[in-house]
Amino acid sequence: MSGPRILILASCGFLGIGLLAPTLTIEPRAGQFTWLVELWDEEATKPVTYSIFGAIRDLYLMNNFFLALVLGLFSILFPIFKLSLYWLVTDRHPNSGSVRSLLKWTDRLSKFSMVEVLFLALLILTVKTLPGGSEAKIEWGAYAFVTSAIGAMLVPLLAERPKK
Amino acid sequence: MTDLSDFDAPKRPWLGLLIPALVVLAFAGFYWFISSNGGSPYLDSPSIQTTDGTTRQGLVKGQTYYLFASEIELYPTNLENDPWDGGENGPDIRYRILWQGNKVFESEEKDDALIADWSGLSLDLEWGDLMGKTISPDEAIKAARIRYEKGGVVEIVVEDDDLTDDDDAGRAEIELDDLMIGKNEIKLKKTSINAVRRINLRALPHGSALKDLVELMK
Repeated sequence: MSGPRILILASCGFLGIGLLAPTLTIEPRAGQFTWLVELWDEEATKPVTYSIFGAIRDLYLMNNFFLALVLGLFSILFPIFKLSLYWLVTDRHPNSGSVRSLLKWTDRLSKFSMVEVLFLALLILTVKTLPGGSEAKIEWGAYAFVTSAIGAMLVPLLAERPKK
Repeated sequence: MTDLSDFDAPKRPWLGLLIPALVVLAFAGFYWFISSNGGSPYLDSPSIQTTDGTTRQGLVKGQTYYLFASEIELYPTNLENDPWDGGENGPDIRYRILWQGNKVFESEEKDDALIADWSGLSLDLEWGDLMGKTISPDEAIKAARIRYEKGGVVEIVVEDDDLTDDDDAGRAEIELDDLMIGKNEIKLKKTSINAVRRINLRALPHGSALKDLVELMK
């Protein structure tokens, strides 16, 4: 098995784990009155941990279909599609006609190579700017997810280029 | 020499397209299997982290503690085995803490309840305070202040507060040696001088930060 293919499979593995593993822990705070809020509603200030899949599911259950769709698209479907395409490209002989067409697609996709990570960063940034000292902690699932994205980004670099 | 064409490609390329998706699913499934322990398939959907990992400690000699009852439950009948308040209403529960022969704390009254609870925290806030008032534990905590000495005791006197005269619901003498920091559940038997079924007594170290005290009150 070629190097790029091993990298694709490893990226798939990291992606699978990264989607379900804890990604983000949010610790809600209400500034100086956090303790008071804790007394009124103990659950309101307890840390909550989300996985990417869990977050999408919750967005869907909360009727935020658009956000669920966007997050699902860019964090699940898009990375899988990208890796599938890379797998297909590395499956063909470099000089075959369909490879050229697929490579066009992969070139287009590479422009969005880190879009899923950008989404994750945006989410963390949003939580961090909440008032009252609320904190967002990145969990290990986020690193698995980012590793998958970086792996996918490296595949075209390792893949054989068609001979001219 | 020979120019390779699409004939070299697998006959069903879409099958290859499925492999990465299947690998993703396999790893996700594997992770789910090792981490779920038979639980929900929705891993790490909002999950609540337990904060009850603290080690329980006994009281330290010479140190001052806040002491209050977070919950008191009475038996359904009073000392004479009659329903409370003649069966019309539940008892209006109030308790006092006696230490070294002195009343060191008296709670607010909880109306018509067989189970009464007190948070131990109470604040009289004005709107202006929300702009940045600093609150000290002494202002906020409604509890007795006692010092732990070996062999020391406190007495909890529970009453049914009536308009005419207050009825004793029972009293419990509690040895401080038996108390732990945090929640202490004291169960009592119904007798001719006691109609209190249970007292949840909280002991909190004096001088702790409010945040720590709130943790101990949970």
